[in-house]
Amino acid sequence: MTSKIGFIVNPVAGMGGRVGLKGTDGVVKKAEELGARPVAPIKAEQAVKEFLSMHHEGDVKWFTCSGVMGEDELKKAGVKDIKIVYFLKSGEIGTTAEDTKKVCKKFLEENVDLVFFCGGDGTARDIFEVVKDKTPVLGIPSGVKMHSGVFGINTSASAKMLHEFVNKRLTIGDVEILDLDEEKYRKGEWNIRIFGVAKGIIEPTYVQVGKTVFKSVSDDEIKDELSEHIADEMNMHPDYLYIFGSGGTIDYIAKKIGVENTLLGIDAVYKKKLVGKDLNEEGLLRVLDKHPKAKVILSPIGAQGFILGRGNLQLSPRVIKRIGLDNIIVVSTPSKLISTPVIRVDTGDKQLDHEFAEKEYMMVVIGYKLSRVVRIQTNNF
Amino acid sequence: MKEKTEFLEREYKELEEKGYTWVIRDLLGPSDVHVNVEGKECIMLASNNYLNLANHPKLKEAAMKAIERYGAGAGSDWSIAGTMDIHQKLYRKIAEFKNTEDAVTFQTGFAVNAGVIPQLAGKGDILISDELNHGSIIDGVRLTKADRAIYSHSNMGELEKVLQDADKKNYRRAIILTDGVFSMDGDIAKMDEICKLAEEYGAMVYVDDAHGEGVLGDGHGIGREFDLEKKIDFQVGTFSKAFGSFGGMLAGSESLIKFAYNTARTWLLSAAFPPHVAAANIAALEVVEEEPERVKKLWDNTRYFKKEIESLGFDTGYSQTPIIPAIVGDSKKAKELAENLYKEGIFALAIVFPMVARDKARIRNQMNAGMTREDLDKILSAYEKLSTKLKLV
Ligand SMILES: Cc1ncc(COP(=O)(O)O)c(C=O)c1O
Repeated sequence: MTSKIGFIVNPVAGMGGRVGLKGTDGVVKKAEELGARPVAPIKAEQAVKEFLSMHHEGDVKWFTCSGVMGEDELKKAGVKDIKIVYFLKSGEIGTTAEDTKKVCKKFLEENVDLVFFCGGDGTARDIFEVVKDKTPVLGIPSGVKMHSGVFGINTSASAKMLHEFVNKRLTIGDVEILDLDEEKYRKGEWNIRIFGVAKGIIEPTYVQVGKTVFKSVSDDEIKDELSEHIADEMNMHPDYLYIFGSGGTIDYIAKKIGVENTLLGIDAVYKKKLVGKDLNEEGLLRVLDKHPKAKVILSPIGAQGFILGRGNLQLSPRVIKRIGLDNIIVVSTPSKLISTPVIRVDTGDKQLDHEFAEKEYMMVVIGYKLSRVVRIQTNNF
Repeated sequence: MKEKTEFLEREYKELEEKGYTWVIRDLLGPSDVHVNVEGKECIMLASNNYLNLANHPKLKEAAMKAIERYGAGAGSDWSIAGTMDIHQKLYRKIAEFKNTEDAVTFQTGFAVNAGVIPQLAGKGDILISDELNHGSIIDGVRLTKADRAIYSHSNMGELEKVLQDADKKNYRRAIILTDGVFSMDGDIAKMDEICKLAEEYGAMVYVDDAHGEGVLGDGHGIGREFDLEKKIDFQVGTFSKAFGSFGGMLAGSESLIKFAYNTARTWLLSAAFPPHVAAANIAALEVVEEEPERVKKLWDNTRYFKKEIESLGFDTGYSQTPIIPAIVGDSKKAKELAENLYKEGIFALAIVFPMVARDKARIRNQMNAGMTREDLDKILSAYEKLSTKLKLV
């Protein structure tokens, strides 16, 4: 079977980093003036080359944008069978978010199996705005910030993932798209928000059925188990307030339990009833005043496996201290733990981060009544 | 209903496409160092017959005599009317051999884990398991209502964290379960540290020594090796590997064995193994005691082969026992190597993803006390030849 890959490069991604700007959204000119040189085209070409060296071209069809946003890189890497789905006007470099989105619309029309892109969180966000969870997305990291869960850890890893995906050895699962609010950032405010839940390429979870026979278990089956686990937990401690974190896994669990959860926000549940929806820090403190005995359910978010500090700043140090470290329940699908074998914490509060660091490990629930030990890493990495 | 048996063929085909299906090759004769595999003479590198007892004259003789005296079958479940004096004699022999108060046998090692573990823990208990434990332990654990926690392979730091966490949560019982020797890598569980941690936190220890018996502790197993025979609460083993015969065993305190008799469903609801199996098992333990040179020879072979295959450039991973992997990386390469070894008259097993990590596919070489230097050199020269031919190292 032929795999249809939509390939897109954000040629200016990663330029800001060298010159001390976080990201290039809206400030490409400035980056260029400061002497930034494009890095994404080189990484993109490299990734495709590595992929081709593992793979024979025959069963992959490439769809891309003309010029530097894909065509050039594919050609340089040696791909011949290319379909241009979107033409940049001559002379145009094609670097705006709008171009990316237009190309992605064409990808959807062509029914590609995967959008393979090179860029940073901003690029991932632009792609996600169009493809949503209709088509899986895989990124070659080339931005300044790569918090989103769609990226391989480096160029080679992304090439390998593409190869495994084309060979059906990897599967599709939920990954979070995160991005720094750049406007706020330039004003000195650090806020990585969670932007949405996309489909990414993940390692399937296998269970042994025969000696060498393994069955891969779908992520939804695992999330069902996690839901059952949390439901049991809530039945066992009915006097606790349960705070549901953000992201795809938690959302699934909440919905399964019957809670109208906010996918990207933080909600509070007491006796199985929603008592606070999409709460900010103040809102959280207020429900905690009312229900001081509380547990919070978190799941690693994005490419680095953050449970706190990315995509959920509402869960501020004050909130976490009120809940208490021992009342944090971390849940994760095993496939997520394969891509991020440590969980990270960056609360912005030195003392609290230190308390996490002292714990060293956290028990992470990976199935019904099944947990495993996972190392914690705090901000200093 | 949407479908009936058509799924059987469809799902089999899917497995076949992924290359997960098992090719069964028939041995035309006994399992020994030299075997006849479907008409082809091969050196056996894939059996668990570490001490080469499977075709030992004393085991065969004992079995034949038992057939003469007791017949071919036990006639019943162990619990009802299937236990014969020869079974009882075996239990006492095992207890003596393992230096425990008492012992009992099960049909297989698998049946011990699947039957005993579910009875040891329930709601409010926690079972703590090494991530690489054998499937039969995993299944036994799955059958309980207890909480389950997994620690990374032999990672004692993580094990301690689980115990600390369990301590806080006030469980009624905690049991640490581990293989004695891990069958994919051939490494040994850190029994001393496990027992120390267990003692510190008030947990119990359950060891499945399937690949350690006949190998470690002068053949007596991991308990003797670490001088922990009395500290390990539950000792599980099998006669189907180094002991060359068949059947599972459970050794420990008298109360454990009485408890197992009355609760383990695989023991209660399934037939006793035939009397000649019991006889062969007794003979196997006697041979291990009477011929200590066997265990010694096994280790000589192990040391020699490990050193030589490493000097050919193969990575043997964490091997500490007669299980010596030759790690080649890619699954396809490992399968190719196994096929080529077979052509060279060497019967070896490729172990591939997802049994091991994607880049850690391997041939699992299993040593045998009956192998001569000549046999080992023949295997090694095949490896040498193929490593160039297949560009392995
Ligand atoms: C650790 C372990 N336990 C149990 C078994 C199964 O033993 P038996 O063949 O007696 O069922 C094996 C063998 O595959 C094993 O490696």
